[in-house]
Amino acid sequence: MNIANPAFTPVPADDVAFLGTRPIPAKPYYDADWFELEREAVFRRSWMQIGHVCELPSSGSFIRRELEVLNASLLIVRGKDGQVRAFHNVCTHRGTQLVEEAQGKRPTFSCPYHMWTFGGDGALISAPDFDSFGLDKKDCALKQVAVDICAGMIFVNLSKDPTPLHEWLGDLAEQMETLPVARATTFSEYSYDIAANWKMAYDNFQENYHLRFIHPRSGQSACAPDNPFGYPKEYAFHDPHRTQTIWTNPDPKPAPSLVTAFSRLAPRAMEQGLMATPHARKYFALFPSFFMLGTPLQNFVHVVYPLTATTSRGVIRLYWVGDDANASERFGREAIMGTARDVHSEDISIIEAGQRGLNSGALDHLHFQTQEALCRHLFNMVEAAVEAYQAEQAV
Amino acid sequence: MTLPKGFEALEPFVATWAASSAAARDGLRSAQTAEARQAFYDAMKPLLIPALDRLDSVPLSEHDAGEKALGLLTLSFAHVALAIEVQGPDEAKHAINRQRLPISRASADS
Repeated sequence: MNIANPAFTPVPADDVAFLGTRPIPAKPYYDADWFELEREAVFRRSWMQIGHVCELPSSGSFIRRELEVLNASLLIVRGKDGQVRAFHNVCTHRGTQLVEEAQGKRPTFSCPYHMWTFGGDGALISAPDFDSFGLDKKDCALKQVAVDICAGMIFVNLSKDPTPLHEWLGDLAEQMETLPVARATTFSEYSYDIAANWKMAYDNFQENYHLRFIHPRSGQSACAPDNPFGYPKEYAFHDPHRTQTIWTNPDPKPAPSLVTAFSRLAPRAMEQGLMATPHARKYFALFPSFFMLGTPLQNFVHVVYPLTATTSRGVIRLYWVGDDANASERFGREAIMGTARDVHSEDISIIEAGQRGLNSGALDHLHFQTQEALCRHLFNMVEAAVEAYQAEQAV
Repeated sequence: MTLPKGFEALEPFVATWAASSAAARDGLRSAQTAEARQAFYDAMKPLLIPALDRLDSVPLSEHDAGEKALGLLTLSFAHVALAIEVQGPDEAKHAINRQRLPISRASADS
């Protein structure tokens, strides 16, 4: 039986009218003073995804992550008890950074300066001539940072008393747990440094208005005559987060090699039970700067990490369940990574062009249309966080 | 280096294209000429499915040198196919920004 595909209908303006229609002030997208406010109001108070449990396979496994926006170097460790903990990568003696390696495995962590040695639980185990300090070792443990896990992903929060991660994520936590990332054991990764404010970079990836212009070749399968912009089917708002449900082109025309890649990946994904995930078409945008699309054959996570008011770093990972099982799966994963990277690489220079324009100060405002509602929502959330922080400071 | 039987036509491409990391394979895509990419693509395309079928018959950990080389050719094909099938005449321009997204890890590298 043939059932005609219903014509695509874009999300109507009324559905997102509650976000407002005002022009958005341009200054928060380049201004250094505003960025200083965001450091405290947004990034210190938010859960930031910085890794995955597959990077900490056994007791003593560790990763080091830099969170430049908070001037923080973090050490995330799986302890002897199997627990994942996060610490400032800072010796409690005189502040020396403990670990230079990006990842590894160690039973203890010794400061290279004076050999203070800490366990995987952060406790100070030994320190040369410690009696001369007149201190108690229990008061010298590494400074701990809130850490929690959702869908296998490690999140940290540098505020003193954070809302628990799962409470902060709400319903989205359970949804993400159904995706391949929750079972991932390995990943592919690429990254980019960009001369753009984190919101400028992030916004590019939460609207499809630009697809047909910036991705005329790589984005062809995302567009069709009845949906020429490749707009999503649905937006949903889970303050401060948001999602979009991506539209499925009934007549996509993927490149032949990509067809081969998908066909070679599908059998094992079926064996692994990855093909029937209920939220596979949902694009998760977690506040402040995390994206994830968990389709069965391509579960990618993209986080934009701010560096300065006008520079950022994007890290993209494609998470995989199990090591490459055979040559077909290896080929498919390489092709999927290359395809995603090709698309992302087309965005970089146009984002920077927008940033240069804003940096000039020529514009007082920028504008978001209905189908850029997610960009508007992000700004609304950031602005609310900054205003709340300013109100607190004024008391 | 001797590729598995039936893939002799790919022997001339092993020295250039059997790169052992995803970053190196991507680098080849950018560094090789359009003519070299096309020649590799044309030779590899009809043999891709047979190559994957042949390689899948042996566990990855038991691949001999020839099978490993053939596997690396299939992986380089994944990159080159993007240049030929997707980017076409825009490939040279596309390569400029692509270099700004270094690959730090790939499943095939581990």
